[in-house]
Amino acid sequence: MTTLSQRAVRAVQLVLLSAALAACGGGGGSGSDGTALKEPPTLPPAEQPSEKDTVRFLAQAGFGAPTAAIERTRRIGFEAWLAEQFALPQSRHQPYVDAQIEAAAAAGQSTNQHNWVYESFWRTAIEGNDQLRHRVAFALSQIFVVSLVDDNVGGYARGVASYFDMLGRDAFGNFRVLLEDVALHPMMGLYLSHLRNQKEDPARGRVPDENFAREVMQLFTIGLRELNPDGTPRLGAHNEPIETYTNEDVTGLAKVFTGWSWAGPDKSDTRFFGGNPHPDRAVLPMQSYPRFHSTSEKRFLGISISAQGSADPEASLRAALDRLVAHPNVGPFIGRQLIQRLVTSNPSPAYVARVAAAFADNGAGVRGDMKAVIRAVLLDPEARRPAPEAGDGKLREPVLRMAHWLRTFNGRSASGRFLIGNTDDPNSSLGQTPMRSPSVFNFYRPGYVPPNTGIAAAGLVAPEFQITHESSVAGYLNAMRSALTSGAGSGNPRDVQPDYGEVIALADTPAALVDRIGLLLMAGEMSAELRAQLIDAVGSVAISSSNAQSAANARLNRVRLAIFLTMASAEYLIQK
Amino acid sequence: MKRVDASRREFLRISSLLSVLGPAGAPFALNLAAVGAAAAQSADDYRALVCLFFFGGNDSHNMVLATDPDSWAEYQRLRATPPDPIALPAPGAAGGVLPIVPNTPQSGRSFALHPNLGPLQALFEAGRAAVVANVGPLIAPLTRTQYDRGTVPRPANLFSHNDQQSTWQAYGPEGARFGWGGRMGDLLAGRNAASTFTCMSVSGNAVWLAGRSTLQYPIGPNGGIAIAGLSGSLFGSSSAPSVLRSIVTADRAHPMEKEWGRITARSIGAQAALNAAMLPATSLEAVPQVPGTTQANGLAAQLQTVARVIGGRGALGARRQIFFVGLGGFDTHDVQRVNQGNLMTRIGQALDYFDRLLSSSAVNALNDVTLFTASDFGRTLTSNGDGTDHGWGAHHFVAGGAVRGKDIYGRYPVIGVNTADDVGQGRLLPAISVDQYAATLARWFGLDAGQLADVFPNLGNFAQADLGFMR
Repeated sequence: MTTLSQRAVRAVQLVLLSAALAACGGGGGSGSDGTALKEPPTLPPAEQPSEKDTVRFLAQAGFGAPTAAIERTRRIGFEAWLAEQFALPQSRHQPYVDAQIEAAAAAGQSTNQHNWVYESFWRTAIEGNDQLRHRVAFALSQIFVVSLVDDNVGGYARGVASYFDMLGRDAFGNFRVLLEDVALHPMMGLYLSHLRNQKEDPARGRVPDENFAREVMQLFTIGLRELNPDGTPRLGAHNEPIETYTNEDVTGLAKVFTGWSWAGPDKSDTRFFGGNPHPDRAVLPMQSYPRFHSTSEKRFLGISISAQGSADPEASLRAALDRLVAHPNVGPFIGRQLIQRLVTSNPSPAYVARVAAAFADNGAGVRGDMKAVIRAVLLDPEARRPAPEAGDGKLREPVLRMAHWLRTFNGRSASGRFLIGNTDDPNSSLGQTPMRSPSVFNFYRPGYVPPNTGIAAAGLVAPEFQITHESSVAGYLNAMRSALTSGAGSGNPRDVQPDYGEVIALADTPAALVDRIGLLLMAGEMSAELRAQLIDAVGSVAISSSNAQSAANARLNRVRLAIFLTMASAEYLIQK
Repeated sequence: MKRVDASRREFLRISSLLSVLGPAGAPFALNLAAVGAAAAQSADDYRALVCLFFFGGNDSHNMVLATDPDSWAEYQRLRATPPDPIALPAPGAAGGVLPIVPNTPQSGRSFALHPNLGPLQALFEAGRAAVVANVGPLIAPLTRTQYDRGTVPRPANLFSHNDQQSTWQAYGPEGARFGWGGRMGDLLAGRNAASTFTCMSVSGNAVWLAGRSTLQYPIGPNGGIAIAGLSGSLFGSSSAPSVLRSIVTADRAHPMEKEWGRITARSIGAQAALNAAMLPATSLEAVPQVPGTTQANGLAAQLQTVARVIGGRGALGARRQIFFVGLGGFDTHDVQRVNQGNLMTRIGQALDYFDRLLSSSAVNALNDVTLFTASDFGRTLTSNGDGTDHGWGAHHFVAGGAVRGKDIYGRYPVIGVNTADDVGQGRLLPAISVDQYAATLARWFGLDAGQLADVFPNLGNFAQADLGFMR
């Protein structure tokens, strides 16, 4: 138990640390860039989390961690780590894409290469310091989905980088701001077709496009059914679920999202329809074009925006977004999905309720404080519980498995660009690529239940199993084995290689090696049976006593084998 | 006779591969009695259903059109709205819709297909394709008035993509557990030597194929994917491969871990047998490129994989098989004219290609395989300027040698808004339920009356259980 004065001192130290970090633009993390780390206060040993708990935490709050980062996080504790992460400057993706555009233009190559978006994603996941922000942004990109698979969005790699940056920027802000930035980003305008959406024309029978209006309710704020604060469905008089909105609500709300289109120095009709492109239109928020905005009464979700004498798109938007964010569903609807992305597929209703409560009020009367929500998700006792209960956990996403390996083992890029590209193919790769969801419904649904399984019989959901099948399990195992053999990414040799420096020393003692891998990748939760199998297998790789090169290869193989067998096991794949 | 002997030899060779499996147990076990029975049955007793799912909700108002003067005038009035009109040109005009003449007249109306469906127009006129008009999910027949007043039950979450994909496939919104394809597999898998090869998807997991006991088997373009490292040497160890096999097929207590192990065991067990039995790609006509591009037609490629598996049916000892293929991009809220046009080109080419593959001597199954289309929903008749919004009832195709083609089944709706067929903005109130559409296919596939009632519990709510489009 700390005294008040000790806590006060620590609080001041944290504030000073945050200011110092913001000023010098770095700090924390593995120090792979060689800068000296500014150390926050070390907790008394009795208060430090265990090594296993720290590994578990960093696999939820980031993409995994090498040994140095684990030890540092242990010393300062999770609260200080979170405070530091909230303060760290954002690793942005658009500057990288802009630099590639410039180089490509000079070389006469295409200036719209989707790979640049993926490369920047992997670089930040593997060596970025702002791990939490990047992990949360990745989670948000699976709720507020925009995808390069779409023909329209696919024309704007720079725009998608900017969209991901927006999610990262707003990840630690307020949900109301996040929702508005999503609604007005031109990539979302293209993806859900409300960019250059026009008001109704009764004479010709034209009506506003309803796409964004429907999905902003169904997927981005309130969902299809009314929820209790703990995420369970509210039931009607006959125990039936209660729909949150009707088709009439969609039609009414659709009018709000009319008269928005590309940014630029004017609001000409030509610019509205896509002509006179401003060079930054893909990255600037959409602007309003009153001439195309519906001025008739807009009725939805029990409110009415009165008919407007002169069109006021901003007022319509403000009223609509305020109404959506005020809906009691938002906390449990969004909160539960963030728990699913970061921690576990089946949180208890009480856990959801605690996160929803943090959304409703951050303790200072503010609704929608994302930092409060993230803290609630990650520091909840159910997330920090050292001995998970039966059925707990989630199947790690394919992208997170690959990132986990590369971050844990100090992945380095020969080119500096982390040339890992499209990993869509389930038959030979990961079956998942960041910013390439097959539809606005993401790679998998929050409520997915694999039919005819013990998971279904136990009443559990398992979203990530929606992309798991006889072909994709084989594709993943083959891709992982290939990456462990040759590295990740393009090039020959492949651009991204791990650094096994600290574990190769354990290769001569299989048990020590397996235990270290088991700690780094599985927070020490490996079963005795799996451990014994791995020790035998690793030990069966003979280390030559006469040929130094051959012995070095054998040691490397032992490390690779230990990692591969670990990452092939269901015990690893189900994160608990 | 020779062909039966050859396929039985091949079948027995394949079944020896099937017997070398991990601890997955029942789904793979060969029913030796069925082996004998399978060999004794006629080699012609084979049927397959292929579901072609249009993801996103296809605008069937532009796929199958009514071209009589009244219908056409209303269609043009509602759809020729700027800035990018979605109304298609008239028959005979440049890029105009393609006339089809159904055997059964419909009140003197005339009909046509999307301009890019030339190959499908040919199949229709040759009698190997038919249209089923205005199909959609229903619980019981419903009039416009009943819909408006809510006095008759209707499916939940109409107009929601994921829920309607689920409802078409599995009778309920997202979360429904069993699809009617999988349920047919449950009932008829006994006619196959190994139930593993009953329900197969070339387009990922699909709840349509999930049965109570039958598990779907998603495959890649060339069948199952072999997991490297299960034999030989793995990272310098000759004993590690068997450790890998043990680890990836481990039967764990945690339900998610257990499921991972089950899927992987199945993958290993089925892959060798399937890939040995499938026809090689080189034995069939190559996958065509989309006209005007150098891109392979992805839908045609999926159908080639299906044809290759069908061609291996003797070696697999399969008598009843159910396949799922899919195509995305149908959610044409904007740029509909161009985007739907591209999709129609691919569909027409792919279905024509599949017809030829089935007719080829290598596959020889034209009269035994029926393909049918499905989609989340149709779309609004009105335009939002360059596209359409989510609808309900839609027109679909059935194709194959066993189809009574060159006809339109079901009453083609009135074209317009505020009609008895309209639930708003030209969204169609379905006249035919998915149950009736599916039951007609299932009856041909081999379900008896009792089994139809079991798989399609609402079928009895509708007057016509068999729509008559199968021979």
